[in-house]
Amino acid sequence: MIHLLGPYVVAALLVGLGVMGVLARRNAVLVLVGVELILSGSLVLLVAAGATAPSRWEASSVLPLFVITIAAAEVVVALAVILTAFRHRGSIDMDEAL
Amino acid sequence: MTSLDLAFAACGLLAVVAGLLAVTTRQVVHAALWLVVALLGVAGCLLVLGHELVALVLVLVYVGAVVVLVLFALMLTRAPIGPDLAHAAPVWRQAAAAVAGAATTALLLAALVPVAGSAVERREISNQAVATELFGTWVWPFEALSVLLLAALIAALAISRGRAGEDT
Amino acid sequence: MSALQVSYLLVLVPALAAVATLALRRWQGPATLVSVGAALVSLLLAVVGLVVAPVRGTDLVPLRGSYAVGGLDLPLQLGAGPATAAVAAVVALVAAAVLVFTRWYLAADDRLAVFAATVSLFTAAMMLVVHSRDLVLTVVGWEVMGWCSYLLIGHWSRKESARRAALKAFLVTRVADIGFVLGVVGLCAGAGSTGLDTVVAAWTSDEAPGSPALRSTLLVLVVIGVLGKSAQFPFQDWLPDAMEGPTPASALIHAATMVAAGTVVLAQLFEVLVLADGARWVLGLATAVTMVGAAVLALGQSDLKRLLAWSTVSQVAIMLSALATTTRDVGPDPALFHLWSHAIFKSLLFLTIGWLSVIAGSTLASALRGAGHGHPLARVAWLFGLLALAGAPFVVGGLSKEHVVVTAYEGAASAGGPGVVVLAALLVTVVLTAAYAVRAHLVVSAPVPNSPIPPLGPDTPGPNGGIGEKSTGHAGMPSAPVLASLAVLTVLTVVGGLVLLTGLFDVHGASVWWMVLTTLLIVIGGGLAWLARGSGDPRDQFVRTPRHRALADSGFGADTAYRALVARPVLGLARVVAFLDREVVDGYVRGAAASAGVAGWLAERGHRRESPSAGLGLLALGLLVAAGTAVLTWR
Repeated sequence: MIHLLGPYVVAALLVGLGVMGVLARRNAVLVLVGVELILSGSLVLLVAAGATAPSRWEASSVLPLFVITIAAAEVVVALAVILTAFRHRGSIDMDEAL
Repeated sequence: MTSLDLAFAACGLLAVVAGLLAVTTRQVVHAALWLVVALLGVAGCLLVLGHELVALVLVLVYVGAVVVLVLFALMLTRAPIGPDLAHAAPVWRQAAAAVAGAATTALLLAALVPVAGSAVERREISNQAVATELFGTWVWPFEALSVLLLAALIAALAISRGRAGEDT
Repeated sequence: MSALQVSYLLVLVPALAAVATLALRRWQGPATLVSVGAALVSLLLAVVGLVVAPVRGTDLVPLRGSYAVGGLDLPLQLGAGPATAAVAAVVALVAAAVLVFTRWYLAADDRLAVFAATVSLFTAAMMLVVHSRDLVLTVVGWEVMGWCSYLLIGHWSRKESARRAALKAFLVTRVADIGFVLGVVGLCAGAGSTGLDTVVAAWTSDEAPGSPALRSTLLVLVVIGVLGKSAQFPFQDWLPDAMEGPTPASALIHAATMVAAGTVVLAQLFEVLVLADGARWVLGLATAVTMVGAAVLALGQSDLKRLLAWSTVSQVAIMLSALATTTRDVGPDPALFHLWSHAIFKSLLFLTIGWLSVIAGSTLASALRGAGHGHPLARVAWLFGLLALAGAPFVVGGLSKEHVVVTAYEGAASAGGPGVVVLAALLVTVVLTAAYAVRAHLVVSAPVPNSPIPPLGPDTPGPNGGIGEKSTGHAGMPSAPVLASLAVLTVLTVVGGLVLLTGLFDVHGASVWWMVLTTLLIVIGGGLAWLARGSGDPRDQFVRTPRHRALADSGFGADTAYRALVARPVLGLARVVAFLDREVVDGYVRGAAASAGVAGWLAERGHRRESPSAGLGLLALGLLVAAGTAVLTWR
């Protein structure tokens, strides 16, 4: 037996922390850290949704796998963009005008 | 309050505290490392919820691959070892970010808490069932995903190489 | 020519004359000739109208059908009747006399043509009210008269006092007009038509569109408008102040048009008025108070022109009191007959005092002492005008006043209503009227002429704050047409009562006993004034102290009362509203503007820096707002 309140609260907190990280950081790489936290929060919510009720085609297990994979691909591209930008500008400060 | 609740609370607390440190710490490398801890906490949460395969994949992909990539990126962008004072955001902006984060949390809680309900029975999901579905019902999305990964790989390569002549 | 065609022409000719005169205003001579000619033509038309006037009780076929506007029937028709023809004739007569007099009196004025045009328009509006068989047309004529009176009173607009008097007249009548318009709208809405006959028929039938209380309320509203236009209590104070206007304008306003218009309108609505007891009580009490108070004030005036003004207030109150007390059998014609006679003798009096003031240079009683010497026609005209004003038997004013007294007596004896109060006030007024008429005569025909007073310019007030009359530059002898018109008015003042023989006014015979009684009262009042004459003005015996004189000249301080009771609260309310508007309502608007400004400043700052984090912040804000909206409107 498990209460669903726990996963919901943890998911909400993780998303909130992720938003805070995205907005507060000036280092582009650390902005990505915030994005990862938001994604993990959504992951918790997705899994919690499937943990209790029977899910058709086991979507609650399969879809998190897809999410993780897509997130990995996104991180790869984002880091490539950041590195390119760094090479062009010599800085990855988000506050600097382009 | 059941034992599962307790276990979840512990993992969740770990994830939240580590996440907080990851977004607030002044030292960039520490931020990446705190992210590892937070993701481990999240993996623990998933384990408690009964999705062991997802939890393991999370650890493998995120902790094993993504965080390493992040660390590499930090190194390549000449992140300082120790506090990054040059890129510290002003206090008002940190406060505003905290307010925005709190607002988001409040919003999500406002939407989610009313539907939480009472305690429910946890469902065990066997890896075999997941595998059957993944390579049966979900096989075409799975293949599309592999194409996506390939595309991401090539795109990352193309972007980081830059166009000829611009590469300084 | 049928009576209806005459009525349309009587409205159109002065209106067209006004337009033509205004168009020709650069050439003063031809312009005034046009308006005088038009006035004479309409006088001729009015005489024709008297001849072809329909016999009582016949229905005229309207010239065309009525218009339907939504659920409302809009006939927009004029009509004619015996009393209407008589009133129209006297209006045309007074207008013609006034225009002839104006040509001489204002000969040196550079805005003579504008004045003549306004007089013509004024006449057209009065003709419209007299002939109207549609309440919308009545309101149109009513409003045009209010506007024209503003223009005429303020004709010498370079004078501060004239501007103030014009504004006061306009504002006071305007306030009262609120009641008039509301009442008319209510009556028309109840009847579903603006046609006068339909309205009267609807509101007098057994299944009237509203309860008797509603009918009474609507009539009270109409009566309030009439009280304002006719300068009755509590709106009385604008009329004496309107003496700031040129004397011909006063003659027109007082004699035949504006102040008498209320009598005409109430006579048109008489069938409904006689059923509305509340309105009759309001009308009766207001007129009873007005006629006595105005007569007392007339006795105490230091200025003879203001004396005439107060006498007008008193006489109009007598007309309206006849309407308040008359029974259904008697009808409104005693009031209209008094309107007829009052128009004749009051225009005579005003034109005469205009002449005398040119001789004396002022309208103050002290300046006019003995002004009648050497001008026999002026003295005769003044004497007969005052005889009619006092109500001496057999002259026109006396006859009509007899009828009003008898009407009030019959009303008091037979029906309820304010008859007794009005009758008592009437008898007191007869005494007072005789007293001030004798006083006015004594002043003008005093045997010792004053030392000549130099004529005053148009912009200088008279001595002791009196009304400065315009100097015309000639020796005080009017032109032949003016003398002729004065002579005509004088003759009509004497023999005008013969109109009763034509049957145009449907009045019962006066009783001999009442005539004897009122003659006695007139003798008492006149004798008191005669005995009090002493060596000079009889007024000095009645108002001895300077304080009392000031009080009489200010009309019992009505102006101060207006300021304290109306102007100040209204201004205070306006200030409160302005404060609410500026500080409260505008606060939201200004707040919206300020917040838009702040948002714009923030966005501008964010854009100016063009940094990725600023864009990220804006994006997060937008998403947050969208998500918040979604969550909050989810359930």
